[in-house]
Amino acid sequence: MERTQALLNCLYHEAELLDEGRYREWLALLAEDVRYRVPVRVTKERGPEGGVSGVMEGMYHLDEDYTSLEMRVARLETGFAWAEDPPSRLRHFVTNVRIGEPRPTPKGEESEVRSNLLIFRSRWDRPDYTFLSAERRDVWRQEEGGWRLACRTVILDSATLPTHNLSFFF
Amino acid sequence: MAKVKTGVSPRLSRMLEELQEGIEDGLVPAWIFNDPELFELEKERIFSRSWVYLAHESEIPKPGDYVLRYVLNNPYILVRGEDGVVRALLDMCRHRGMRVCRAELGNASHFRCPFHGWTYRNDGRLIGVPAEREAFGQDFNKEEWGLVPIPRLEAFDGMIFGNLDPEAPSLEEWLGDIRWYLELVTKRSPQGLEVLGPPQRWVVHTDWKLALETFLSDSYHTLMTHRSLIELGIAPKDAKYAMYGEQIHIPGKGHGSMVVGAPPGAKLPPFWGYPEEMLERARTSYPTREQFETARETRILLVTLFPNFSFHNPIRKPDHKYQGAVPMLTFRVWHPLGPGRIEIFSWALVEKDAPEWFKEKTRHSYLRFFGSSGTFEQDDTEIWSHVAHNAATTQGRHLRFNYRMGLKLEPDPNWPGPGVAYGLNFTDANMRNFHRRYLEMLLS
Repeated sequence: MERTQALLNCLYHEAELLDEGRYREWLALLAEDVRYRVPVRVTKERGPEGGVSGVMEGMYHLDEDYTSLEMRVARLETGFAWAEDPPSRLRHFVTNVRIGEPRPTPKGEESEVRSNLLIFRSRWDRPDYTFLSAERRDVWRQEEGGWRLACRTVILDSATLPTHNLSFFF
Repeated sequence: MAKVKTGVSPRLSRMLEELQEGIEDGLVPAWIFNDPELFELEKERIFSRSWVYLAHESEIPKPGDYVLRYVLNNPYILVRGEDGVVRALLDMCRHRGMRVCRAELGNASHFRCPFHGWTYRNDGRLIGVPAEREAFGQDFNKEEWGLVPIPRLEAFDGMIFGNLDPEAPSLEEWLGDIRWYLELVTKRSPQGLEVLGPPQRWVVHTDWKLALETFLSDSYHTLMTHRSLIELGIAPKDAKYAMYGEQIHIPGKGHGSMVVGAPPGAKLPPFWGYPEEMLERARTSYPTREQFETARETRILLVTLFPNFSFHNPIRKPDHKYQGAVPMLTFRVWHPLGPGRIEIFSWALVEKDAPEWFKEKTRHSYLRFFGSSGTFEQDDTEIWSHVAHNAATTQGRHLRFNYRMGLKLEPDPNWPGPGVAYGLNFTDANMRNFHRRYLEMLLS
């Protein structure tokens, strides 16, 4: 139970950091060898066994490592990142959290954590907004100093994205 | 230039005359970037008779491979038949109009309509009609009821284009001299190009012409729009880096290119920074020596085809700490959805015979700087959407934009390629050429 609560706390804390644009603190939650991917999703017929359809392996919206995520954060800090200046008002809604069994690895104990995510995005003084819905398939690792995100694959629920750019994180 | 033709409302005629009068003086009225009536005319006179990019042949290499693509709101199944021939078939059952293809890509020997079960081979022929005799009798001729092919389908070096106008000129004639610049990419390797996966697709509230102009001609926006990447050391230190190049347009066609070299004093590797082995292959792969020599000195290359295709091929690296250069290539369709609304189709491509390590790295260079999450492109789409919004405001729509950059420049007589070239890339020459062609098509 303690582990479950600790991981839930991680997800909620992370959502707060992303909602509030505290990206340096967010980077501190990532493992140095993090893989962070958002595959392109396309419309496909139903497969014989059902399951998640149309998640492409060859192309992504984001395919990041720690250095490239740090670059994206550093860009926001330049004062010239117009896509997020003024910043989007973001709200990450995290639900349906499923936590797998712990497994030991040479780098520390790891847990698979799946969650559903709804991102609300509003910009400037317009009343309209966009929603992005997704499932996050994470691996969190217990390292010295706490849990770190070691791997995240974001299964988008859109084939064609309804927003003009992905200038934020899932 | 042609006078405004009948069939255009008095309101639109007046407005188009304003564009016509202003263009040679470098003035373009804001309203053309967001107007419902103009959009209807663009659908009819531009997109219903222009060659529109659909796909790269490497997306459908095997018999039965297909991808779904659009010209205006018409869905086409771009499919390679068992005979190896690529066709573009309207995704609409001839019986009652249901979509017969239920995926954006895949491989199929036939397409079966879920409504009443009419079934078509992947060459479009109707081969199955449930209860054919009982329902339609003896004299039903299936040959007359195949899927409707796009009126015209032609390809250039693996780039497949469609045209809704059966009377359109050939693709070769349509492209004209811009082929020399397309070949700088399509003939860089004897093996040609391949896509790295399917396109990213996303919607932007802007006008297709605004997006297009940026890739066609707007070297001037990089110093402010993309300042963040200069600060990070991703773009060259000299904020005017995109100025140091040639801007070339093809008169009468609307196409254009920007060929940018290294800023003075900047130490950038030649040939976009492609690996040495690719440079060696290019030496014999290019049709002419002039193309090879131009390519060798190029660091950033853009080509835009009238009306809504662009490619961008800049020197880049996968992140700000990477030592060395890894160029990237992206193909674009600025797909018009409505007034002030587009869908972007964005592909990454690479030479088929590029080393595997390079294919992986170039994908990263692409994803981190262009496409839906690209750190360059994020800021473009943000800005384009506000310009389109202002272009529809009651006061803003009457403003005339300044397209006067480089209006007094003289063409560069020493440029080795075809078209009209200017030796300074800070010019709106390609945009003015585009708008002349745009008007010509709208008015005829």
